[in-house]
Amino acid sequence: MRELVDKAKTIAKELLAKGEVDLVMGWEKGTFEDKTSPLFMRKPEDVDKLVINEFCFNSLAPYLLYYKNHQGKIALFVKGCDSRGVVRLIQDEQVKRDKIYLIGVPCTGMMELNHEGQLVDAAKCRGCTHPNPVLYDIILGEEVEAKSPGERFAAVEKETGSAREEVWKAWARNYDKCIRCYACQRICPACNCRECIFVDQGQEWIERRVDETENGAYSLIRAYHIAGRCVECGECERVCPVGLPIMKLNKKIAKDIEELFGPYEAGVDLEDKSPLGHFKYDDPEEFM
Amino acid sequence: MKAVNHKRLADILQEWSKGFKVVAPLKIDDNIRFKEWKEGSEVILNENSNIPPKEIFFPQTEEMYEYSIDKENVEIKEQVPTQEEFIVFGISPCDLKSLEMLDDLFLTKGFVDPYYKAKRDAAIIVAYLCDKPCRTCFCASMGINYQEAKGADIVIFKDGEELAFAAQSPKGEQLLGQVSPLLEEKELKLPAPEEFVLKADVEGLAEKLASMFEHSYWDTAYEKCLNCGACTYLCPTCHCFDINSHNRCKQGFKTRCWDTCMFADYTLMAGGHNPRPTRKERFRNRFLHKLQYFPERYEKTACVGCGRCIKKCPVNVDITAIIAQLKEVDLNG
Repeated sequence: MRELVDKAKTIAKELLAKGEVDLVMGWEKGTFEDKTSPLFMRKPEDVDKLVINEFCFNSLAPYLLYYKNHQGKIALFVKGCDSRGVVRLIQDEQVKRDKIYLIGVPCTGMMELNHEGQLVDAAKCRGCTHPNPVLYDIILGEEVEAKSPGERFAAVEKETGSAREEVWKAWARNYDKCIRCYACQRICPACNCRECIFVDQGQEWIERRVDETENGAYSLIRAYHIAGRCVECGECERVCPVGLPIMKLNKKIAKDIEELFGPYEAGVDLEDKSPLGHFKYDDPEEFM
Repeated sequence: MKAVNHKRLADILQEWSKGFKVVAPLKIDDNIRFKEWKEGSEVILNENSNIPPKEIFFPQTEEMYEYSIDKENVEIKEQVPTQEEFIVFGISPCDLKSLEMLDDLFLTKGFVDPYYKAKRDAAIIVAYLCDKPCRTCFCASMGINYQEAKGADIVIFKDGEELAFAAQSPKGEQLLGQVSPLLEEKELKLPAPEEFVLKADVEGLAEKLASMFEHSYWDTAYEKCLNCGACTYLCPTCHCFDINSHNRCKQGFKTRCWDTCMFADYTLMAGGHNPRPTRKERFRNRFLHKLQYFPERYEKTACVGCGRCIKKCPVNVDITAIIAQLKEVDLNG
């Protein structure tokens, strides 16, 4: 991916110099070689800091929510999963297609340091089905092959067949660790409610008290709320400071949706309707 | 010097746990948390715990009192903050330093927090000197020598296969006396101190920041911050809390829970006004509190250089980089 950076810089500089956009969102080098940080470029010279590499983890899609009232046009770099986040935001009418300019980055997968200090394939990219941007105005290079699309539901398969009590016990143990920092919620491109009960806590749906009950309620409310809208980018699980397997729950729900309504991946097709977001006469209704 | 092979650490903890509750950094799945040590628990030293040991003295959720209402009568049952002596094992020099700051906050200037004080007074501190700094560490820049632990009752360090124990207080002497049959006399020494990858220079920064509240630096510095609470909850010196009610008909209880200036409702007032309405004001507050307000009040920078925030920030907001940028700002420019 690194070889794409020169072309990326040329495009970003031109967009800013010509005034086609007044903000470009990308990445810059972070604290260490294996870290990057979101970069906000407003002048052509800001673009010098831009990097494109296997450490550009952050999806820039969620930032679009902060610029809903922005007058000008915004450009952003999107990997496959990031572009799906953008598609979802457009579908939810959070952002207008003609107000954004998408620079597509075919993604060969992110890399991260394991506990032994070796660089390995990032956990969040396992089972990725769309390494190439699904929506873009310009693309930086040749499209790439998905590495392990067959493993999309690998995280859930292990648990299939386990007793309900066992599964709950494992989740309860996880909820015991949660500190409710809401990093998973803030980073999520599917979390775009104007009023979020986890942002304004002056309501009584959920208490700030941190224990198995409240943490479990938080996790489940969030999982159900993004059901059918989760683009499976894995950012929530990546940023969790206590390492909760959040994607396992999201993947389980995505799998259930496929079993109930047929093949579906959120944010892949701008015209596609979410199975949970619309009604069809042949929808399963065994609960009726 | 008193010493024991590191593989026999469990024997020492076993002995101590007969008389005291021992809290230590334990491996729980992929986490390291300060929890009660029991036989079979795996102690992890020389690595930051995921959540700092502030949670021992200032838990994330702490019940304050229960209440019930019966016609005209209100009955309040207070949770009396008492605590038997207990051992905090394996606290690192930076986390130990953070307790000095929590002490400033919870015990000085005419305010004494009984919940914090009960636990703090009852704690016997056994500190572990780090083998070497991690890449996210910068405690030296915050004036901390990672090879000493002032204020600890016992200090431990590792030399090869051996763990060296030194008492630093009468309480520490007593505790070491209890395990003396397990200890041998050995010549051990600390490894040569190592260089840090990250550095930060806060010299004169508090004074400079006093005139930077309205500076344009903040207009863009905040932009990547998502206002989650990870940095503040993982920070050993952050100490904000909120008091919450759990009401069910005519009874309930009050808890105090960690709160964070990163959240929008932290400064939200009755009536809807919010003096820190956007991410910018919240981001600015976090750094001004650490680097200006706290030093003004207590003559200490509210950062011990543990690097937890750098390691875990979802968008790599790096406090050492922020400090460097703030130092570079030209106030006349």
